[in-house]
Amino acid sequence: MTSRKTQVQKQATGIGGLDRVTGGGLPSGQATLLLGQAAAGKTVLSLQILAKAIERGEGAVFVTFEESPAQVKRDASSFQWAEHLLDSDRWQLIDARPRLDAEVAGEFDVEGLLSVIGASMAQCGATWIVLDGIDQLLQYQPNQRTAIEQVRRINNHCEEKGWTLLLTGKANGNSIAPAHLEGIEFLLSATLILSAQVCNQQLKRSLRIAKFRGSRHVTDEMPMIMGDDGIELPYHEVLPDSDAAASNERISSGVVKLDKLLDGGVYRGSSLLISGRPGTAKSTLAGHFAEAAAQRGERTLYVSFDELSGPYVRNLASVGIDLRSPIESGLVRFKSMSAYTAPVAEHFLTLRRLLDEFEPHCLVIDPISALLKTSDEASMATEHLVDLVRRRGITTILTSLSGLLDPQGEATRGQVSTLADSWIVLDYNVRAGERNRSLSIVKSRGSAHSNQQRELLLSNKGIDLADVYELGTEVLMGTARVALENEEALIQRRQKLERKQRRLDLERRMAQAELERQRLADELRLEEEESSESEALVQVYRTQIRERRDPDRKKPSAHNGGGEGEPS
Amino acid sequence: MSDPTQSGEYSMPVLILFVTGTAPRSQRARDNLTRMLEQIELVDIHPHEVDLLKQPEESIKHSVFATPALMKVSQNGDVAILYGDLSEEGRLQRFLSDLGSE
Repeated sequence: MTSRKTQVQKQATGIGGLDRVTGGGLPSGQATLLLGQAAAGKTVLSLQILAKAIERGEGAVFVTFEESPAQVKRDASSFQWAEHLLDSDRWQLIDARPRLDAEVAGEFDVEGLLSVIGASMAQCGATWIVLDGIDQLLQYQPNQRTAIEQVRRINNHCEEKGWTLLLTGKANGNSIAPAHLEGIEFLLSATLILSAQVCNQQLKRSLRIAKFRGSRHVTDEMPMIMGDDGIELPYHEVLPDSDAAASNERISSGVVKLDKLLDGGVYRGSSLLISGRPGTAKSTLAGHFAEAAAQRGERTLYVSFDELSGPYVRNLASVGIDLRSPIESGLVRFKSMSAYTAPVAEHFLTLRRLLDEFEPHCLVIDPISALLKTSDEASMATEHLVDLVRRRGITTILTSLSGLLDPQGEATRGQVSTLADSWIVLDYNVRAGERNRSLSIVKSRGSAHSNQQRELLLSNKGIDLADVYELGTEVLMGTARVALENEEALIQRRQKLERKQRRLDLERRMAQAELERQRLADELRLEEEESSESEALVQVYRTQIRERRDPDRKKPSAHNGGGEGEPS
Repeated sequence: MSDPTQSGEYSMPVLILFVTGTAPRSQRARDNLTRMLEQIELVDIHPHEVDLLKQPEESIKHSVFATPALMKVSQNGDVAILYGDLSEEGRLQRFLSDLGSE
């Protein structure tokens, strides 16, 4: 008993975001004040909590002091959870509207009300009780202090019985005290303030936990959505358990030369921001990415703000990017959204639901800046989105349109450029009567990336990159680049020819020299032959003379020619 | 189940006082009503009393959730209600004023 008293027990509301920000639900067996202006969603929130409770097998009683029971049912009927509520016999709806012509003669109390509630609670085994618009009854109380006493009485009664009470109250400006019942906020354990304000022609709903006795809770004003699923807190739903493991895998951007500049591509699970002015080929680059993902067999959720699927796909086809086939095969899901038709929080929720349902490997949002234009909340939405996709390991491309006067404009306004892991800026370079597209990588976390600006060439085969030429402090693109390229090529060709000429020259001279060498060698050989022959003759001659002059010569040899050799 | 049908079928103008047991305000309302009926000489009218602690379903039937409350059902079926312990004599007297004329 003591441990139960020291720690607040909570009863789940079944609304994921609300249960998360309250750390498990509303104080069990105690009272929560739901405060808000008319149409802020008080009745819907309480009905939704009851519907979820009934779905879980719990019981509930709803006491309406303001709307007719039929109206209360209509309030619920447009939501998907309505059937759990309307068809169930585990709840009772009590019409406690005071009579229109009621008069007052002195103070009254709520014992009768508690009596009838007690009977109904017992009948459906209820633990939840909603008192909707009790100020309508208590305003008849001649003394306001008595009215507050009565809320205290109700609160104590619920605590005794262990009922979890939701009490709605009308907001009184920015005060956390309800109109007609100032002071009850001190009595009750928790206070939720709902608000609905028109901001830039859009209705922005929010929920804030103004008080939660004895429990940690989120204190921010949280954007709230009221859609088919009822009330949701899109930014505060449960996040995937842990951070996705940082991947070292590089995946292609779809442009081979860009992958080289990025040191092999973008990291899987990272986010890439492509910013640039209109017509700088942001969508084309994004399209390349999605096409490449599809070729790897990966799913891509492709979100286009303010552009329809048909024209978008056709435009990409004109630069050789085929999104039609992956869309048809189901690898690319194209979702066209209109930035201004819904509050940012609703767009965020739609994206979140699509991510849940489609489980893509890659996400493209083109352009995220359309969303950022709509309200200040968008940057928070983007932050949550980038966080969400990072946790899920989804590789994301966001494009952002920059203004003409401010090329880095909206990308930085939404803080996207600081959030994204990599940032590519596309731009024009206007020079010598030409407008040429350029690409530069501003940042790329965890990569040795090129710091060079490149010329971006767009053809019917998509994007290609060309090196740019520096001329003094300027970079040359387009015709100027081509001219310079031609000039360089010409010079190179000339140099090559000259070298060839010189080599041929030398070869010819070498050949001539070789011929000369052979001629001289022949001459030498002839000379040597000649000299050896004459040497031999000289030898013969000398021998003859020696023989002829020999005093011991007996007779001239007959074959020596006799008379010829004889001295006269 | 017999009581509620009974209370719905009065042929005369009738007063129903909704109370919760012996709660102080309920007690005061009984006393204030009795005193006023004597004061305006309508002693032959006997208010019917419904104790919501015993018959909570009467609360829903008559749409009376604050106690004490005094309900007046006219012959033509019109219903009027006066909340509170009936301590404001002027209001109570005005509320009962048309009963004497009939």
